[in-house]
Amino acid sequence: MNHSTYVQLLDAACGAFLLAGVLVLWRRDLAAIVRLFALQGGALALLIAVLGVHEGDAEVVALALGIGALRALVLPWLLRRALAGGAANRETQPLVNVATSLTIAALLGLLAYAVSRPIVRLDPTPATHAVPIALTVVLIGLFVLVTRRRALSQIVGFLLMDNGITAVAFLTTSGVPLIVELGVSLDVLLAVLVLQVLTARMRAAFGDTDLDDLRELRD
Amino acid sequence: MTSVAFPAALGLTLLAAVAGLVLPRGPRRVTAGVLTAGGGAAAVVAGAAAMRGGDWSARLPGLLPLAGARLALDPLGGLFLAVTGAVAVCAALYGIGYTRHGGLDGRVPQTMVPVFLAAMTLVPAAASVSTFLLAWELMALASLLLVVAEHRSRDEVRAAGLWYAVMTHLGLVVILGGLAGFAAAAHSESFEGLRAAADGLPAAGRGAVFLAVFAGFASKAGIAPLHVWLPRAHPEAPSHVSALMSAAMVNLGVYGIVRVGFDLLGGGAAWWWLLVLAAGGASALYGILQAAVAGDLKRLLAYSTCENMGLVLVGVGASGLFAVSGARALSALALTAALLHIVNHAGFKTLLFLAAGSVLHGTGTRDLDALGGLRTTMPATTALFGVGALMASALPLGNGFVSEWLLLQSLIHALPSGGTLTAVTMPPAVAVVALSAGLAIATFVKAFGVGFLARPRSSAAERAREAPAPMLAGMAVAALCCVLLAISPGAVLPALARSVAVAAPGPDAVTGPVTLHLTGLAGTMSPLLIAAFLLVAVVGLLALLRVAATRRTARRRARLWDCGAGPMSARMEYTATSFAEPLQRVFDDVLAPETDLDVTPLKESAYLVNSVTYRTRVGDRIEHRLYRPVLTAAARAGEAARGLANGSVHRYVGYGFYTFTGLLIALAVIR
Amino acid sequence: MTGIIGAVLQVVLVAAGAPLLVGLMRQVRARAEGRAGAGILQPWRDLRKLLRKEPITPHGTGPLFRMAPLLLAGTTLVVAAMIPLVTTRSPLDGAADLFAVTALLALGTVALALAGLDTGTAFGGMGASREMVVLALVEPTILLSTFAMSVRVGSTNLGAIVTSVLDDPQQVVFPASLLALVALVVVVIAEAGRIPVDNPSTHLELTMIHEAMVLEYAGPDLALVEWASAMRLTVLLGLLAGLFAPWGIAVDSPAMLPVGAAAIAAKVAVAGAALAAAEVFMAKLRMFRVPELLAGSFVLALFAVASSFFLVAP
Repeated sequence: MNHSTYVQLLDAACGAFLLAGVLVLWRRDLAAIVRLFALQGGALALLIAVLGVHEGDAEVVALALGIGALRALVLPWLLRRALAGGAANRETQPLVNVATSLTIAALLGLLAYAVSRPIVRLDPTPATHAVPIALTVVLIGLFVLVTRRRALSQIVGFLLMDNGITAVAFLTTSGVPLIVELGVSLDVLLAVLVLQVLTARMRAAFGDTDLDDLRELRD
Repeated sequence: MTSVAFPAALGLTLLAAVAGLVLPRGPRRVTAGVLTAGGGAAAVVAGAAAMRGGDWSARLPGLLPLAGARLALDPLGGLFLAVTGAVAVCAALYGIGYTRHGGLDGRVPQTMVPVFLAAMTLVPAAASVSTFLLAWELMALASLLLVVAEHRSRDEVRAAGLWYAVMTHLGLVVILGGLAGFAAAAHSESFEGLRAAADGLPAAGRGAVFLAVFAGFASKAGIAPLHVWLPRAHPEAPSHVSALMSAAMVNLGVYGIVRVGFDLLGGGAAWWWLLVLAAGGASALYGILQAAVAGDLKRLLAYSTCENMGLVLVGVGASGLFAVSGARALSALALTAALLHIVNHAGFKTLLFLAAGSVLHGTGTRDLDALGGLRTTMPATTALFGVGALMASALPLGNGFVSEWLLLQSLIHALPSGGTLTAVTMPPAVAVVALSAGLAIATFVKAFGVGFLARPRSSAAERAREAPAPMLAGMAVAALCCVLLAISPGAVLPALARSVAVAAPGPDAVTGPVTLHLTGLAGTMSPLLIAAFLLVAVVGLLALLRVAATRRTARRRARLWDCGAGPMSARMEYTATSFAEPLQRVFDDVLAPETDLDVTPLKESAYLVNSVTYRTRVGDRIEHRLYRPVLTAAARAGEAARGLANGSVHRYVGYGFYTFTGLLIALAVIR
Repeated sequence: MTGIIGAVLQVVLVAAGAPLLVGLMRQVRARAEGRAGAGILQPWRDLRKLLRKEPITPHGTGPLFRMAPLLLAGTTLVVAAMIPLVTTRSPLDGAADLFAVTALLALGTVALALAGLDTGTAFGGMGASREMVVLALVEPTILLSTFAMSVRVGSTNLGAIVTSVLDDPQQVVFPASLLALVALVVVVIAEAGRIPVDNPSTHLELTMIHEAMVLEYAGPDLALVEWASAMRLTVLLGLLAGLFAPWGIAVDSPAMLPVGAAAIAAKVAVAGAALAAAEVFMAKLRMFRVPELLAGSFVLALFAVASSFFLVAP
């Protein structure tokens, strides 16, 4: 793979990665949000695979396959199962409306760019130049966690953050030890399983997955 | 030239003030008006001469105690002087007709307009701290007296006067503090001395000075969140005074920032200019949003002033940022855009406020929801307001477009090589300028389309009468200036470049008489050619239509189709409120409108509705959230302090005694 | 010389071709819906019919109402002469850059909105109000996309942008260009009043924007408005084609002019057909969902600017 193709593939993967994150904010339909998350998982896998091929590191390529399987297939499948059980499948009233969310996402992108300048300056390669994109996805994930009401959107927000963190890790160090990545992936899988159980319990208790209903537990 | 024209301007305005004071009611109005206009014209000449390089300075040691007064005109001051003078010519001509009624031909208003103008010519010419502050305060007092000129007829005028008095004096306090601190540290109070000593001051001290004067000047320029007095005071003042305030006085706030920030302090840290840029951007957006939903014509124009001053500060802030990062050419371009926008804004805002005054004069209302149909009863005013609205909405053929184009060009040419700060701030700045330009279009379509076109929405609008000749003359002069600026900005740009060079030295940023070329950047635009081609296209189309439309009958008048419904009443028209409703909904989070809906059922049954009242009001949210708590706390403190004053004289004298002895004891202990 | 002939050719091409483009798009839609369709020439026949009718001035309308169609068509024709469709050497290229071009188109829209308000009907006001909201919210996207495209070239002049793409075709597939393209497609849809922002073929109160403003026009005036709307669509699609796929455009030699004309006609036809085909599968958005769409396009435009800073060019 020559340099130009490498950069172009990297840019394309990063673009898709970011776009999927932004579109999560745009869509209200939870099923579409899960699809977008799957798309983002795929983009992440592609990103890591491109990095692996460029470095000529077979272990990273293998990791990319594993991550792709987990984030583009297994996790979305789990989420879809959680979704199938419930009636409410739309994010009707986010705490911050969609247009404002999108504008804030744009500003978060600029913030990510500003704070990651020192990292990029340390080692200006095409990969580190894309760090702001990964960081933007982390921030968008956090923003989704803060502003969306449905439990499922919250899980997706959490997973967006995790995708972003993984991307940052690969873009800056090009390769986390296999064992660490394995541990992180297992953690994420476990977290999703726990949250899925929690969602099911919530629905049983409140008939809904609006997290604001949890306030009732306090009273 | 300057040495003759500037004293002439001052002399004529003072003569006008004397005429306003001593002449009997009969000749007072015309004499004072003509003399004021003459003073304004002389100020234009003096300013233009100063911009052409005729620097002038004078020391009048006897005029002020201790320091004496110092005056000097350089190209930067000359620009503001010329703009003020031009606005004054239009406003004074207009005032001759406008002040005929409503008690505005009394001694106080007739004297204060020339005094106000004299103060505004002195501010950009002041060359020492004490002279500057004196002129500044004179300007504030004169304008305050003019704002409350109609306090007998309306209650709101008093409230507006109170807000204005408090805000302008708080502003004076911080400017006084900043400049006095600066002068003390520099051991000199003349601007020359300050300029020379600025480099030797510690960075923190310079930052503190800048912060203080920026707060004061920004408040005068109507920059959010210090703008709250502006949308109250400008609408309540008599309209020719509104024009003077909104088109000339607010500029001097920007003058203060440019003079102190660039010239006296010699630039500074990036955070200063980032602050200016952010305040400008916030003000531009907030101002135009409020203008877009305003239902009162003059309030709409006042908020539009907040917006335009915001845009100017975006330019000033960007210029400062570029200067800090070393991009000299860009810095000059941004400042050129900002100063050109000041000139353009002065032109169209004068025209619009004067036209709004004619509407008020002709109909007795400035509520857009009650206007409409003025195009038949007030054709000249309608045409003039239409020209003003086109100029203000940043569309081609308008002068606002030229300066906003320059501003955008300066913002988008900031490359990431300029540093992270510029790279991160410029895209949002472009977005803010773009959104405010878009909203300005909607705002002025509303103001013109709802206020002047369609059919009258009230009997007041039906009975409208055209403004008298002096008022039309004042507006026509303003409109002529606007049109000249719009199609041939190249005529003023060389002079403007000298003003820019005072603050941002370098080669001329924009060149070319017909097509504007940006120095060092690849960007061209030609307002004159666009206008010419548009004219050719429209004439060509008209000819084509003559040929192509085969049935050459005269135009037949027919009733409105309106989807086949019966004759429409004027109550079915879209009003300003309904026009702005979609925007209000889109920007619900920012504007937070208050609505109440009361449904009164019939006595017989709760299910049958007797009447429904719906009220919606978009208040100034900044005022509500930021100022109300402070005012309530102050009122509460005052309430609590009443316990200290129970009416006993002994007690009051006792307070004096305790304080005095307490001070003496403290002194004895310390020393 | 190439420039002058090219500019004239552009104006003639847009003026004559615009109704054909609308006809083509209606035909594509009709076929996709299983109808026979009226044929590509139908818009021209409609225009001829309208031109033969008597000119009408509704009661209570003023001179602005009569001027508006002229201004709408006039601004569009000026834009057609300025932008690089057939040639990059238009003599008017230096008179206006991308900012000025979009502002000129906005001027036409404003004229029409004022005409809508001037009628004093509820529909006219409603259309004007909605059109202004869309216009105001589209503005940030337009200017940011312009920003994104000008970063690499260092200029907002259309001729310069197109020439730079011709010199280095690879840059079209950069993320910055792609994001700007998507953002500008949304802008074109909003400005031209197509689904999902506005439905050009509806006269339903709840959904119309553009049509509501022109309800009171009849005869030759209506012909002018319809023709101008078609030209706006053509010009906007042509602008997109010129900016992102400028191949075949004439630069220097006059011999390239016919090729350029054929190329732009083909590109606009393809773009129009694609737009019409996509519209079949979409429903019009609710008015208050439109800001979300525009906010989305704004984000894309901002990321387009940012990504020209973020990512290294290969």
